[in-house]
Amino acid sequence: MSACMFLLLAVIGLAFDLGRVYIARNEAQVFVDAASMAAAQQIDGTAAGLDRARAAVKRLPDRWNLGANSFEGVQVEFAPDSEHWSAQPQEAENVHFVRVMAPDNHLDIVFLRAVGGPETFTVPAQAVATTNPVRLTE
Amino acid sequence: MLELALSAGVMMTCLAGTFQFGYMFYIYNQLVTAVGNGARYAAQRTYRAANAQDIERGSAAIRNMVVFGDAQPSNEATPVIPGLKPEQVTVEWIAKEGSAPVAVDVSIHDFTVNAIFRSFTFDGKPFVEFPYIGRYAPGEREP
Repeated sequence: MSACMFLLLAVIGLAFDLGRVYIARNEAQVFVDAASMAAAQQIDGTAAGLDRARAAVKRLPDRWNLGANSFEGVQVEFAPDSEHWSAQPQEAENVHFVRVMAPDNHLDIVFLRAVGGPETFTVPAQAVATTNPVRLTE
Repeated sequence: MLELALSAGVMMTCLAGTFQFGYMFYIYNQLVTAVGNGARYAAQRTYRAANAQDIERGSAAIRNMVVFGDAQPSNEATPVIPGLKPEQVTVEWIAKEGSAPVAVDVSIHDFTVNAIFRSFTFDGKPFVEFPYIGRYAPGEREP
């Protein structure tokens, strides 16, 4: 009987907790996609442009965890070549890429923790955008 | 026999709950994807604003993109999420009067998921805002 309950809790945990994890991952990816586009739009080769890029990311109202939580600890980094990233680049005029990361999305686990699973699950996401985007539609 | 009856009741309740939440999560995840794709399409689409009708036609194309995955769906097109209708998708342009939009908000309103054992209604969720990076064409008409 206890073995059956253990298995039942595990199955419920897989359905409930992993379902929420997949939603959170999707929400986080949509957010960083939008945030990287918002930041890339502001980059104009000046330090003020980088500040505007950071502010544009902060302004986005997108949320996660079924739309309940705002994104915390979002990181914005810049690079001239999509490889050498820096949060505070020295030469703003060379910046052409922006990377937005949302690493602190900690989802509370409800059922799986009862059968030995983790108490929280981290769902990070990141996206890269450039100042010269390829137009895919019309 | 009594034990079986008692445990079966608990198990059926648990399984029913698992099904309804699992199905609700599945639909919500699809909604997040659809709204995200629709908002991305809206963000890159040409904003034609010759008059209010053109703006509305552009918004209708975005709603179709969310619901059908196609801005101009055929009459036989089926929604990517069962039961979702274009009128349940809200498209809001963030713009000052007579100027280019700075962002577009896309969200779902009054959409009910029937998970057999219980219904869930999403109102205002999922919500996505994308910055507008498309071409602003105040004098153009929607084709």
